[in-house]
Amino acid sequence: MAVSPMITYEQQSDPSPSDTKQLPLRTTSVSSLQDAAIAATQQAQDFAERLNEETRSKYVKDKKLGEGTYAIVYLGHLSRDPSSLVAIKKIKINTEFRDGLSMDAIREVKYLQELSHPNIIALDAVFSSKNQNLNLVLEYLPLGDLEMLIRDTNGIQYGTAEVKAWMGMLGRAVWFCHENFVLHRDIKPNNLLIGADGEVKLADFGLARSFSDPYRPMTCQVITRWYRPPELLMGARFYSGAVDVWSVGMVFAELILRSPFVPGSTDVHQLEMICEGVGTPAETNWPGVTSLPGYVSFDKRSLGARDRNYFVSRFGTAGPIGVDLLMSMLALDPRKRCTARQVLEHKWWSVEPQPTDKQDLPKKGGGMEKMGEDLKRRGGEVDDSRSERVARKLDFGAR
Amino acid sequence: MSKAAQKHGGSSAPPGQDDDICPVCKSARYLNPNMRFLVNPTCYHKMCESCVDRIFSQGPAPCPVAGCGRTLRKQRFRRQTFEDLQIEREVDIRRRVSTIFNRREEEFLDLRNWNDYLENVETLTFNLLYNIEVPETEAKLAAYAAQNSDSISRNAALASAEHDSTEAAFAAQKQAARVRREESLREDEEDRQDRLREDREAQERIAQGSTAKVTLKKSTARRKDGAKGAASSGNAGPSAAPAFEIQGLKPVAAPEPTKAYDPFGGLRIRSEYFAQQRSCEHPWLDKAKNDPAIVTGGYDVREYCARAMVEAFAGMGVFVDDEVGTGGGQAAATERAAIAAGTDNRTEDVL
Repeated sequence: MAVSPMITYEQQSDPSPSDTKQLPLRTTSVSSLQDAAIAATQQAQDFAERLNEETRSKYVKDKKLGEGTYAIVYLGHLSRDPSSLVAIKKIKINTEFRDGLSMDAIREVKYLQELSHPNIIALDAVFSSKNQNLNLVLEYLPLGDLEMLIRDTNGIQYGTAEVKAWMGMLGRAVWFCHENFVLHRDIKPNNLLIGADGEVKLADFGLARSFSDPYRPMTCQVITRWYRPPELLMGARFYSGAVDVWSVGMVFAELILRSPFVPGSTDVHQLEMICEGVGTPAETNWPGVTSLPGYVSFDKRSLGARDRNYFVSRFGTAGPIGVDLLMSMLALDPRKRCTARQVLEHKWWSVEPQPTDKQDLPKKGGGMEKMGEDLKRRGGEVDDSRSERVARKLDFGAR
Repeated sequence: MSKAAQKHGGSSAPPGQDDDICPVCKSARYLNPNMRFLVNPTCYHKMCESCVDRIFSQGPAPCPVAGCGRTLRKQRFRRQTFEDLQIEREVDIRRRVSTIFNRREEEFLDLRNWNDYLENVETLTFNLLYNIEVPETEAKLAAYAAQNSDSISRNAALASAEHDSTEAAFAAQKQAARVRREESLREDEEDRQDRLREDREAQERIAQGSTAKVTLKKSTARRKDGAKGAASSGNAGPSAAPAFEIQGLKPVAAPEPTKAYDPFGGLRIRSEYFAQQRSCEHPWLDKAKNDPAIVTGGYDVREYCARAMVEAFAGMGVFVDDEVGTGGGQAAATERAAIAAGTDNRTEDVL
């Protein structure tokens, strides 16, 4: 990371005579200190191994729930209490990162252990098993994910109150991430798992990172395409929490429509669909957009930003105030898009209908297999069953 | 019933005999066979429908029975359900008391309390029935109703819901029985048709002169198949209907009155050590604030400043010893993780 401007580094001044006199004494002390340090590190290593062993013995792996290219998911339980279920995600040794851990695993562990919130999947423990495999002990969420509920148009019926309850939980999760300066960068219904009590939990932090320092570019190859905001599609390397808010808005739209709002098949097609569905980015509604590296002109079908009537006609079931919220989340210019905090401060939450209680929300027994399916995925991957066209390989390297 | 009594004549006078003469206008059923008697639950004096129309059509009027004189309204006159007016009155009173005292057994801690409550209610009812200390009792009733209006309406809603669900279960049972009956009727009919057809076929074969043995074998085989099919369809019928009903389940407790929805889930994140300014001035940040290449994508320097402030103050006011002592568990662990992560960031900065 860049050197923080808040910390000033003073030049090391030459040692003063008094210092030189004491130098021999110091070196001895330093060498003895080094010995002690080596001993301490050895002790620490033993301690770490013991700690790891302790953690590992706390859990018992039961059966395999699913296996992907990136991870194997097991159902497990606490060895002292067989009724307490957990999901154990064992990260495979990656071919690309043979000498270390894959980026996904590091990101997942780094951010999940910092974030403790009812709407974010809990990481109970991390331990390494033989062959140095990394195991993440995650909260067990047996009721599938939000995408399953959205797609089951015949079996599951829900209304605005349910949408509001789900959006509230998602909004809290994203707000909490942003309050702690973490960008999730892969929000989609697939990654919103549902706990036994109906609570929606944001999962899969494989693409997460903390907010960037100034002048430090980030990759724009993140977020599953259908939920990717226009600034990332146009290759912006400097962005903020607004990218997650766009994804939240897309999930909101999908909850209402019960089908993806702008399912593009390529990046350019995705931009085209956004132009049609949300509006065409132009200098008038997004100053400076033409200077973005990936800017593509869609002058022929230029519509400008879609107006309110259009959104009301498509998303009228959310109510007029809900449409306002959706429009502010889907603002083309990320600077005009509302922040995660503003989403939760919106007055939509206080108008009728009140959100459904979480235990009354529609459920679908996804079962453990579905959780296995969801967790084994790598960030940015989509189920093959959904559409093969959208699966893609991610480029994590900083260009 | 009174008509039947009339036919019997006066020799064995049934108890309803008096009822055939209206105590107010003295007209008899003999003259007016369609005569109906009504009572008013205020005084339970009986009179015929035409008397009610005549006296009370113009509005409230005193009861025409000598010595009563209570003001009655036409609207409240109704046909009596029980022959004994004393019982009619008792039922009315009990119904009224039970709509107010509608506590349920599961609301009480133990059986003793529940029984005490029942006894108190019974004492009140008894007082009302036999006109003992009526004003005091009425006052008690009114006071209780006013104090417990919430629980009364809640229990009433519960009771009506239970009533509805039992009704629904009963209807479902009836429906299932009907389906089963129809199913079995249909099967019988099919069996009969099969047998008739087989007989006919056998007769035809015999008439054509083919070997009777073979047809017999075939027909038995077919009959067996048919029976198998019928049996399987017979199994499908009842299994489609619910296997059994669970009745007498403990009803779910009424939910707590809901609080206003808090979109933040009761969590507020605010630092007590610093306040975030609208902008943070530093020459190093100027380019990040104004460069279109950085700003157009939505990058916001204020987020960086906020983070710098939070990290600068992270861990302030956190005393690990205290949290370990009180068993702060998860929260403490998260806090420590956050601090550790913070220090990691800083080392990266230096590197």
